[in-house]
Amino acid sequence: MLSDLFIRLRSLFRRGTVEAELDDELRSHLEHLVEKCVRSGLSRDEALRRARIEFGGIDQVKDECREAWGVNLIETVWQDLRFAVRLLSKTPLTSAAALFSLALGIGANTAIFSLIDAVMLRMLPVRDPEQLVQIKFRSPQSANLRQSVTNPIWEQVRDRQDVLSGVFAWGPDTFDLANGGEQDSVHGIYASGGYFATLGVRPAAGRLLNPSDDLRGCGGAAVLGYGFWQRRYAGAPSAIGSMIRLDGHQFPIVGVSQRGFTGADVGEPLDVAIPICAEAILHGKDSFLDDRSAWWLLMMGRLKPGTTVEQTAARMNVLSPRIFSASVPLDWDSASQQLFREYSLVADPAGSGTAGFTGIRKQYGQPLEILMVVVALVLLIACANIASLQLARSAARRREIGLRMSLGASRTRLLRQVLTESLALSLSGAALGALFARWGSVFLVRMVSPSHDALFLDLSLDTRVLVFTSAIAVLTGLLFGVSPALATTRTPAVAAIKETLEQAGGGRSQSAAARWIIAAQVALSLTLLVGAGLFIRTFTNLMSVDAGFDRSNVLLVDTNIHNAQIPGPARIPFYGQMLARIQALPGVVSAGQTWMRPLSGSEWNNNIEIPGRQLPNGVDPLTYLNWITPDYLATMRTRLIAGRSFDARDSASSLPVAIVNQTFARRFFPGENPLGMRFGTGERGPVRAKWLQIVGVMQDAKYDDLREDFVPVAYFPLAQMADVGESSTFEIRTAANPSSLIPAVRDAIGSVNRVASLEFFTLQQEADDTAIQERLLAVLSGFFGALALVLTAIGLYGLMAYVVTLRTREIGIRVALGASRSSVLSLVLGDLAALVIAGSAAGAAIAFWLTRYVQHLLFGLPSIDGLSFALAAAALAVIVIAASFLPARRAMRVNPMVALRYE
Amino acid sequence: MAADRVELPQGTLDLLILRTLALEPQHGWAISERVQQLSSDVLRIQQGSLYPALHRLERRGWIKAHWGASENNRRAKYYELTKSGRRQLDAERDAWEKLTAAVAQVLGAAREGV
Repeated sequence: MLSDLFIRLRSLFRRGTVEAELDDELRSHLEHLVEKCVRSGLSRDEALRRARIEFGGIDQVKDECREAWGVNLIETVWQDLRFAVRLLSKTPLTSAAALFSLALGIGANTAIFSLIDAVMLRMLPVRDPEQLVQIKFRSPQSANLRQSVTNPIWEQVRDRQDVLSGVFAWGPDTFDLANGGEQDSVHGIYASGGYFATLGVRPAAGRLLNPSDDLRGCGGAAVLGYGFWQRRYAGAPSAIGSMIRLDGHQFPIVGVSQRGFTGADVGEPLDVAIPICAEAILHGKDSFLDDRSAWWLLMMGRLKPGTTVEQTAARMNVLSPRIFSASVPLDWDSASQQLFREYSLVADPAGSGTAGFTGIRKQYGQPLEILMVVVALVLLIACANIASLQLARSAARRREIGLRMSLGASRTRLLRQVLTESLALSLSGAALGALFARWGSVFLVRMVSPSHDALFLDLSLDTRVLVFTSAIAVLTGLLFGVSPALATTRTPAVAAIKETLEQAGGGRSQSAAARWIIAAQVALSLTLLVGAGLFIRTFTNLMSVDAGFDRSNVLLVDTNIHNAQIPGPARIPFYGQMLARIQALPGVVSAGQTWMRPLSGSEWNNNIEIPGRQLPNGVDPLTYLNWITPDYLATMRTRLIAGRSFDARDSASSLPVAIVNQTFARRFFPGENPLGMRFGTGERGPVRAKWLQIVGVMQDAKYDDLREDFVPVAYFPLAQMADVGESSTFEIRTAANPSSLIPAVRDAIGSVNRVASLEFFTLQQEADDTAIQERLLAVLSGFFGALALVLTAIGLYGLMAYVVTLRTREIGIRVALGASRSSVLSLVLGDLAALVIAGSAAGAAIAFWLTRYVQHLLFGLPSIDGLSFALAAAALAVIVIAASFLPARRAMRVNPMVALRYE
Repeated sequence: MAADRVELPQGTLDLLILRTLALEPQHGWAISERVQQLSSDVLRIQQGSLYPALHRLERRGWIKAHWGASENNRRAKYYELTKSGRRQLDAERDAWEKLTAAVAQVLGAAREGV
């Protein structure tokens, strides 16, 4: 109704005019009344008196008129608000405590959920990831699942499988955008035509690759990753249709993949995808497409709706003989070929290893779930704070409420007052929380970003979460603020007034609730602290684990000489020249070269054989291989345990030799001296000889990542290799900061070959980046553990301060009657101590129980890590003492005279 | 002053005000005088409740106010019935008549039964 709105607004904003009009109107009425009385014969004074009596209280009438305008509600709310602020500022510390608990709780939750949301979106933008299975295979001799396949195997699988609704294959690679010199490398994949469609990824612009792009002899097409498109092309639509140079070959860009899609591999961003057939464009006659010994592709499929993994695996098993018979490596010896025919395909939903969305779930899903539980606990603690502070406050207000009721305040009016107060507190806490969330999420992302791959995260605050957490906090405030007030307004006013302050404070049900809340807070905090201790210790263990090499001051240089067009046999002396130049650089302590970069996740492995022996059943023959140069072990500071290192004696014409690690020696030659023993690598490939003689045993060193158990490793000298590839890595130990040597190394390699493309890492960086998940958990659980402590301290402090205030009179009486300080202290603290101990015990039990669920995420810790428990308990004890110190001191200093006069 | 004055039943004040204003625009004093006069001094409006009622009706949009000069040339706030006020008056009058008729019928039946 317009008149309604108009009158409300007019009375609100033209207050003066409206009030004056009301005055006029009422005065006019009064004058009429007086005149009437005068006409009936009264004197003017008498008439005035009579009129006033008859009219009644003018102010009351005015009030009722104002009520009729509908402004009264707004006014009383405003009044309530001012009163609430006044009341809250009367106990500034307690109020600030409540405010900050809320702000921290809401802020931290919103920040972490925004981050998790961003990470989840980044990780899982595919359709129904639970339907995806990785297709692997196993040799009848080994329990190990192997995932890399050749293109002939993939083509057989693609054409013969009939049990999956879709299959695709991809091969990760890096492509160089630059034209020689330092590599401008991007993370790319060769993708089969069904890659995007089977994953269920949509284009953000243009189109994605489809089966017609992936036909033999194709001209090539490139799809950009969303992040890459944003970084390099600023998201310009004109990028589509333009050309991109990859390893010196031009590809037309046909589209951009869905935002947040980072490919089927964990941890690597997806910058560009080209079809598998385009591999022939890049590598010409060295192409892998028909190479039956090039293991460079990974396969994945989507289950048909309604079929189980087991059904699918059974069908794959039936198909296996035909698939493998059609793709036998022709250069293998006949025994190996026969074994190959017996390989069987497996559908692996767990997707262990680096590939697979289910693998992502396993690797990142659980830490994220843990963090969600952690933040939920933190929010609980924050809410507990609000609850206990509101309870304390309402206890102290019983008398005030009783007094106001007896003075005629209506119950609704009083409840509205309490409601306003709770809301004022909660809403300002929520507002402050939004601010904290803003800062918090920026801070968090900075903390968890890997060193060289900054996380590409959309950091907009999650308003849904902000609203949700705020709503929870507001509800808590209302519940614990209003329900005691409800109870109070139900008790007869007189009884409430008569209660002394301390009786009110000890209101039985309320103080029982407050005690429960404190005990629960202590328990939750201890749980969080133990968790933080476990994850922080896991991370530090991982960082300080003996990896078998010294990770400080080592520069790693990935080198690719594809552009130099050097034929296979000439590469070894060519590498020798490069290494010599690097070794001659000032600041270089020593330098080596390998095929596989340590901790890179790339591996070369094979099943080994021992001449004249059969490996016992249950001994896994899989051994990880690499070729190295003589100074490699010294450069990595990997100790030689027995025998000798490689040196100039080892040449193409001398006896083929190898160095193995301790695990190799223990597994294949238990109780024997491995020196002088011989072994072979089955399929020969780059290894020249069928049998190699062990000349040295080195200490165990990590091959793939820091968490792995040591695996059997065998190294061969570069000089004895039959064939070496175009890519390799130089390891350079430097005297000072390794990064400072990058320009000199670039020039040194450039002086041998200008078009070699290079990429620089440090070993430290590599090691750090293998522990990203552990760092995320350590940093965040530590952060939230600390936050829980702070919140608990705030809650304890606020409650203690209130208790002391409420009992000031009682304490005064006791002191006046001769109570000692220590008895006062035990009066105040005794109760608290019992609560804290009970809470801690419960917390320890919860933590003990939960540890089982995170056991596999821990590293280098006993199954029950006493130190983490002890540290958590100690931290909690310190905080409890600190929080209760000030109120306790105040209690001890109560002056009996002042306290007794207080009422 | 008549001794047989009757308390106004709840909700009838609005009806009386609307009815009075249906004759012509009036200010507050005149409304109360008119009601008293029309009811032969039986009904007398409490001064204290008249003005809140007027303001409430104004906010509902049933009456509107304007300032004018009163009979003795004073500034006075005149209220007049709006269109929706007239509809409201009709509705309330119907309801009232039904109510009183029903009540009278019950009372009459009761008397006959005695």
